[in-house]
Amino acid sequence: MRWWRADLHIHSALSPCGSLELSPARIVAEARRAGLDLIAVCDHNAAENGRYVRRRAAGHPAVLMGMEIQSAEEVEVLAYFADEESALELQAELRSALPDLPCDPALFGDQVVVDEEGEIVRCEERLLLSPVALSLAEVVARVEALGGVAVPAHVDRLPGGLLAVLGLLPPGEWPAVEIAPWTPLSQALRAWPELEGRGILRGSDAHYPAEIGRAWTDLYLAEPTLDELRLALGGRGGRLLRPGPPIEEDR
Amino acid sequence: MELGRVVSELGLEPLATGDLTRDVQGGYACDLLSDVLAHAEAGDLWITHQRHLNVVAVAKLRDLAGVIFARGNRPSPDVVARAAQEGVNLFLSSEPAFEVAGRLHRLLHP
Repeated sequence: MRWWRADLHIHSALSPCGSLELSPARIVAEARRAGLDLIAVCDHNAAENGRYVRRRAAGHPAVLMGMEIQSAEEVEVLAYFADEESALELQAELRSALPDLPCDPALFGDQVVVDEEGEIVRCEERLLLSPVALSLAEVVARVEALGGVAVPAHVDRLPGGLLAVLGLLPPGEWPAVEIAPWTPLSQALRAWPELEGRGILRGSDAHYPAEIGRAWTDLYLAEPTLDELRLALGGRGGRLLRPGPPIEEDR
Repeated sequence: MELGRVVSELGLEPLATGDLTRDVQGGYACDLLSDVLAHAEAGDLWITHQRHLNVVAVAKLRDLAGVIFARGNRPSPDVVARAAQEGVNLFLSSEPAFEVAGRLHRLLHP
């Protein structure tokens, strides 16, 4: 086993708020520049660009399929999958659970699926940055039923952080959570003592190329896979995780 | 003002009720539970669209007079059952939060 540097919260051009520069090729180049061994592309309620990032990366770095799901309570949850089919199946379910609002590019930005060569595959017309008609508990159950791992995103910040929106950790397992890129670990544990003993991830939440790898988590794993990540999040099997240092607050 | 009177004046549908003789001391309107935890005061009647189970925990922790789910946002049966168990008063209003808050404010500050 060894330490792998992971940034498991990167947006692409498919997120309306993500830069159009975030093509699969650019994401892979920036991840290599930042020395990342493992990444996940987590667009809002969508996973589609992950498959092209994975093709482009060809294992360097390893790429988990991912998405950032916004529940009916407006809590954001990161979902990770090993296989493309499960992630894309969930994407299709979420799309039908999204309000039927068009994405006005002037207000929200474009939502573009781009392949590994930089060709535009399609533009998503429905606004992805909306809560789906599924409760937080339903979202987590669906992710797990499809073989994925659910991790509440940037729990301490608004908008979308579980603890900020819902005040307390709801009943449930919650083996791991992500904290905001700028929150010192000690501060998070002081503010939310219920996080003690849980796996704590830090991701960049990158919306621009230069932000990829600005925050990370080191994972002690046999290999950079979903099954190994699952062990590390639960602190099992000798797998470990260690969130990197906070960035300077940018907001 | 006594909670029971507020309920009838505002035409609220009781979902889970404990002590309706409680004194309503004020109101708080917010959908962010962390904000309610930090700023609502004991005896407040809380108006929200948030229907998560944690609403019950927050109302209990802050010793709120009760919770009004606005615009017909009916919570699930497990939320209602937990509230009944914890003695937290829950009500439903068909009106939007703005209307409920306006009417409650007029009632408490005539």
